[in-house]
Amino acid sequence: MDNLISIRDRIKEVYSGYATYIDAFFRFVLALIVYVMVNNSVGHMEALKSPVLITLLALLNAVLPANAIIIFAAILTVLHLYAYSLLCAGVVVVLFVLLFLLYFRFSPKDSLTVVLTPLAFAMHVPYAVPICAGLSGSPYSCVSVACGAVAYYVVNYVNMSGADIEIEDVEMVASTLRNLINGIIGNKNMHLVIYAFMATTLVVYVIRRSKINYSWIIAIFSGAVFDLLFILVGSAVMHTSVSVLALFTGTLFALPIALILMFFVFMVDYSRTEYLQFEDEEYYYYVKAVPKISSGGFEQEERNFRR
Amino acid sequence: MLDKDKIILMTRMASYEATEGKKMIPIAGYFRSDYVGFNIIKSAVSVTLAFIVIVSVYLVCNADKFISEFYEANFMDVVSRFINIYGFVLIIYILVSYIVYSFKYTAARKSVRIYQKALKKLISMYGR
Repeated sequence: MDNLISIRDRIKEVYSGYATYIDAFFRFVLALIVYVMVNNSVGHMEALKSPVLITLLALLNAVLPANAIIIFAAILTVLHLYAYSLLCAGVVVVLFVLLFLLYFRFSPKDSLTVVLTPLAFAMHVPYAVPICAGLSGSPYSCVSVACGAVAYYVVNYVNMSGADIEIEDVEMVASTLRNLINGIIGNKNMHLVIYAFMATTLVVYVIRRSKINYSWIIAIFSGAVFDLLFILVGSAVMHTSVSVLALFTGTLFALPIALILMFFVFMVDYSRTEYLQFEDEEYYYYVKAVPKISSGGFEQEERNFRR
Repeated sequence: MLDKDKIILMTRMASYEATEGKKMIPIAGYFRSDYVGFNIIKSAVSVTLAFIVIVSVYLVCNADKFISEFYEANFMDVVSRFINIYGFVLIIYILVSYIVYSFKYTAARKSVRIYQKALKKLISMYGR
């Protein structure tokens, strides 16, 4: 344990010195993973699958704000689906527009959760998402997790729907679209996962914030158990088919992910070196403010006036 | 002569201005009613756009039905049902945005208050 803590402190030390570059690097890696996953799951347009293009896009993300990843990923998804079928692309565009209008306006900060949720689904560790969102976020995060799950299920459903038929007349468009939308709305698995994830996020959040010892660890474990039970009971009640094996292994993988995140990300105040400029009537000041490393842990989460 | 305390204070304030304060200071510049009211109007506009999108998808989905029943349909009925749903959703959204933006405003005021205290302290340093 002492070893781990010293590793963590070393990481913190390095990070506080080179935060700008490390952040850019992480944005690049995240963007690259997201785009590769989009290409793997809905890659219908060959032109967009070129590794050079994807790498260039990801490099661009290194200098843009993190939210640009979401916009690029959404555009990539729509273009791929457009190559598959115009109707599918239309449905997904409508979904993205609705998500933007109804939710992102309220909490743009959380939008990374919405990208990470489908990513976790694609990497077969979806159950880590509500736990991590509950640990890191606010109560609103449950809506972000739900939006991410909706985006994943809709894109997945539309992609598998086989709606890539030639469209000849209005009736055909109407009936295909109706089938698509009914399929999306009637997807019981999606409903179950959304309810389970929202409830788990709230449970983890409430336990994490409560004033008990080891509340973070308790939150992680009880969140995992709650999620598991919710989905098992829910699938029995709603008559959906859930692979119990996948559920158990997914939850088992979610635990270490959440624990690692807690240890390296949430328990440390990653304060960083800042470069500031200001002036008064006598001088110009170019200040490099280097934070003092203290091993106070995550008790210091509530900041007073700038640390 | 360089004043160490003053530089520390100014550095902290500059750091706040560059990070958290970037969002908070403009919000705290509004009156509460202006900030909340303006954002409620923005949410109402986005709900209206979202509603238009949903209704158009619904209409396209049921286009064949509408065309075949064009002469029998009671349009007033359909329209009034849409308007009822729209009004209901709009009211819920207005309430939610009232709550969310009131909280945001209070948080911003709280965050900026500490900054303003530091500002006063800085002014008093110049006075001495």
